[in-house]
Amino acid sequence: MTLTRKNGLLYLAILAGLIVLPSFISTKYYIHLSVLALIWVIVAQGQNLIQGFTGYVSIAQAGFMGIGAYGTALLGLNFGLPVWLTILSAPLITALFALVAGYPSLRVKGHYFAIVTLAFNMVIFIVLLNLTDLTNGEAGLMGIPKPGAGKDGAINFADRTTYYYFVLIAATGVTALTALIVNSRLGRVLVAIRQNETLVGAAGLAAWKYKLFAFVVSAMFAGFAGALYAHYQSFINPEIFTIAQSMDAVLAVILGGSGTITGPIIGAFAIVFLPEYLRFADSFRLVIYGLILILATIFMPRGIVGLASDALGLLKKRRAR
Amino acid sequence: MLELVQQITNGVAIGSVYVLIALGLTTVFGILGIAHFAHGSVSMFGGYLVYVLVASQGVSLWLAIPVALIVGMGVGGLIEFLAYRPVRNANHINAFIIALGLTMMVEGINLQLFGADQVVIPTGFDRVFEIAGVTIPETRLYVILAATVLVIAMTAFVEGTKTGQAIRAVAQNRDAAILMGVNVRSIPLIVFAMSTMLGVAAGVMVGSLFAIAPGVGEAMVVKGFAVLILGGLGSIPGAIIGGLVLGVTEALAAGFLSSAYKDVIAFVVMIVVLLFRPQGLLGGAK
Amino acid sequence: MKRRSTIGAGLAAAVLAASTSLAGAAEKDLVVGVSDALTGPAAVYGVPQARAVELAAEEVNAAGGIRLGEDTYKITVLSYDDKANPTEASNSVRKLIDRDGARFLLGFCCSGATGAVASFIQNEDAVMLVGNAAERSITTRGIDNLVRTRPPADYTGAAAGTFVASKGHKRVAVIGALETSFYAMYVDAFEREFVKGGGEIVTREAFGLKDRDMSPQLTKIRALEPDALLVVGYVEPAAFVYRQSVELGLDVPRYGFTSGSEEQFLRVASSEQMEGVWDLRPTELTLQSTGETGRAYHENFTARFGVQPSPSSPYAYDQLYALRDAILKAGTVEDAAAVAKALRELPVPKEAVMQYIPIDGRMFDGNGQAYTTNGAFQWQDGAWVFVQELPSVAEDYSRFLSSIDG
Repeated sequence: MTLTRKNGLLYLAILAGLIVLPSFISTKYYIHLSVLALIWVIVAQGQNLIQGFTGYVSIAQAGFMGIGAYGTALLGLNFGLPVWLTILSAPLITALFALVAGYPSLRVKGHYFAIVTLAFNMVIFIVLLNLTDLTNGEAGLMGIPKPGAGKDGAINFADRTTYYYFVLIAATGVTALTALIVNSRLGRVLVAIRQNETLVGAAGLAAWKYKLFAFVVSAMFAGFAGALYAHYQSFINPEIFTIAQSMDAVLAVILGGSGTITGPIIGAFAIVFLPEYLRFADSFRLVIYGLILILATIFMPRGIVGLASDALGLLKKRRAR
Repeated sequence: MLELVQQITNGVAIGSVYVLIALGLTTVFGILGIAHFAHGSVSMFGGYLVYVLVASQGVSLWLAIPVALIVGMGVGGLIEFLAYRPVRNANHINAFIIALGLTMMVEGINLQLFGADQVVIPTGFDRVFEIAGVTIPETRLYVILAATVLVIAMTAFVEGTKTGQAIRAVAQNRDAAILMGVNVRSIPLIVFAMSTMLGVAAGVMVGSLFAIAPGVGEAMVVKGFAVLILGGLGSIPGAIIGGLVLGVTEALAAGFLSSAYKDVIAFVVMIVVLLFRPQGLLGGAK
Repeated sequence: MKRRSTIGAGLAAAVLAASTSLAGAAEKDLVVGVSDALTGPAAVYGVPQARAVELAAEEVNAAGGIRLGEDTYKITVLSYDDKANPTEASNSVRKLIDRDGARFLLGFCCSGATGAVASFIQNEDAVMLVGNAAERSITTRGIDNLVRTRPPADYTGAAAGTFVASKGHKRVAVIGALETSFYAMYVDAFEREFVKGGGEIVTREAFGLKDRDMSPQLTKIRALEPDALLVVGYVEPAAFVYRQSVELGLDVPRYGFTSGSEEQFLRVASSEQMEGVWDLRPTELTLQSTGETGRAYHENFTARFGVQPSPSSPYAYDQLYALRDAILKAGTVEDAAAVAKALRELPVPKEAVMQYIPIDGRMFDGNGQAYTTNGAFQWQDGAWVFVQELPSVAEDYSRFLSSIDG
């Protein structure tokens, strides 16, 4: 994948759309959902790096979000560090945990990696629940401060539209970083691992180092997203960071289009807004999600983005005729 | 000492359930290379089925169990045919994502059909045996015995029958098996039917020993995969030893270390095994 | 999830409002939001609460609604499913406030989801009434626009500690869902009172929400030879503790804090395995301990929904009557702060089902916390029997609660 001019234009159009979005929303509730969706964009970009580009499904993203969220909240609540500093430390803390988890997990290939990451997510959940002295268990942490100096500060982060732009900047940065990574030599090695890992080894490259890199970066994104979530909602408890949420990240990537830059953006908005429009079928939500996942994998392996570009290509062919 | 023996006895019962779950997973993985993550939820579907037959339809337990086992075989075959076969030749990650989708679907269907409350299969077994101070409830004893019988039956099937030979041939070398005239299209169906039947048996055991509720299937399949990692991927003896080791480890961890962290301890054991013996306790070096 | 009946009720109210406004009379619509677990494992608590609010709203509407001067307000209940999940709960409350214009929020069965909403409700122009969620910190943060009908778990735990000590036990083993903080608080308060009688807690064993095999923990407890067992946790795992304790021959008196119905226990354990077990909990709805209003509630709920009300569902039913009285007292439905203030000055509504102990004549104390009596129930021949009230001093606890910061 190269950064062509056409792609660049597409990204700019998406960004412009997201910048003007709040002025089209009259009910604040949808701004709230958009903030959550942007946070999920960050998670999904990370998930895409390991799942879409490298070809390893990680089911631990929510757990890493939890580490980032608790990391930033606890640093702030216990040491009184400024919010911007704790938010920036969250991905670093998460990276440490990801290194420890990733090293043994990446010794096994394919599916087993997924299972080990899933087990790791469970371990994170159990520890967050039981380490009550630090995490306050199921009751969670309340009163996590917003960035900035509150209502009297230069920027009022308690305002949802303001926070929206704050998260938009973060999501744009993360997306740009992802684009840089996948367009570099590193990105090409990751794709090569997905296509044929043995060949990468035969070419004299230590595939495990690249895999570990992708895994750790994806975890850092999740940790960063977790931190943004914690300061947005001001409340976290372990329930938010379970495997079900990690599965949402997998779904976002598949649905949007794995191995693309725009796919996770679309996928993240889909998983946050879809439940709103599936309310009528709420009790069948799991069945519908599962079915979407299966059908998308069989019939739409390149996700919504792939479908759209196929449709576009078809249209052009017609016009050319 | 009495406490230690009691704890091991406690662990063997749940360990037998893990063995059955892991056997189903390990055959599907070893022969077809699929990490069948939906196995736990499908197994619990079988358990629910027995519950409904016995508790609300008044069917005898001894009729309900075979019915569920046969339904399980059908469901297993259907899953292979409808969900996994279309992605047979695609990248293995696709099969895994299908497995995740299936898990959500089956969990959702279970929830719709059987509700969110926990269900316990009424067995009527409430005697408790006591041997030299060690107590063992009737149901647990039957679970251990039934698991032993199933393990022996499965081994006999794979080792001793023509179909079993064909399955092993496909596991070793698919192309060679085709050349030898093995019908490779039917093998995945048979493997899935067999493994799902074992899973349903485990589901019935969970439902009579403990309870079936949303999420139990997923928890079981994670334990099942932990057993596979412990015992070695695709290894039948590995699944048996690994299942018992995990069950007993959990009981000992809860009894002697920390009941809050018993699952963490089990996973730590798994990760340590991965670090030092990535091929599993019984897996040969590759 | 918007439940069909509420859509129906909403439509009916809208039609009614339209037709009456033509006639010149001012009949208005008052939106009351409910956020509760309507699906998932916590739905056993959430669904009965949502129904209880609906029932109370129908009763108030049938009795002519809420009259404020010229205007008559008919209540429309909008119920959303929060799955007891914090993110979902903040979503549904945001939606109720931002989109549906609800100012009064009821329901809230479960601590995690409630905590998430409590963390931002102070900045909203709304009033929040919490039900079954037992986590103490919900009412220690000085949130002016929040009240809770259920007493915190440790209020009951202290009473239970005194009671068990009075039975002459010295060595109690605890097994429970200790990862859930209000259960852990129950045990802490239990221990504080219990040790005053010279006893000790010999061990604290934990089990998780999904654990069903507690025999390893019980085997360990058996080896410690305690004189009594204390079981705290949700019904579903707790029932297994009672069954497995008998299977392991752990023959000591058993006390618990589980609030399960007979049916829930009998699904897991036989009546013989349950015989003699004590449940030490708030005196919630039981036919023996309740009065006239409780029996009427039980009957109406059963007739309306075809199932019996859960013991804890009146916490939500009473919310609506407290809200009605507060609106009448404040004389406004627009000014949420005035209604919140009125709530804290309110006597117990006469329709309330739970047996509240008023503090200085008021239903809610300065923290926004209500107190019920606590009771000792015992399993006798297949049913819970109310044996006695537990010694509980609500005033003292109220003072203690005020002393906690955050």
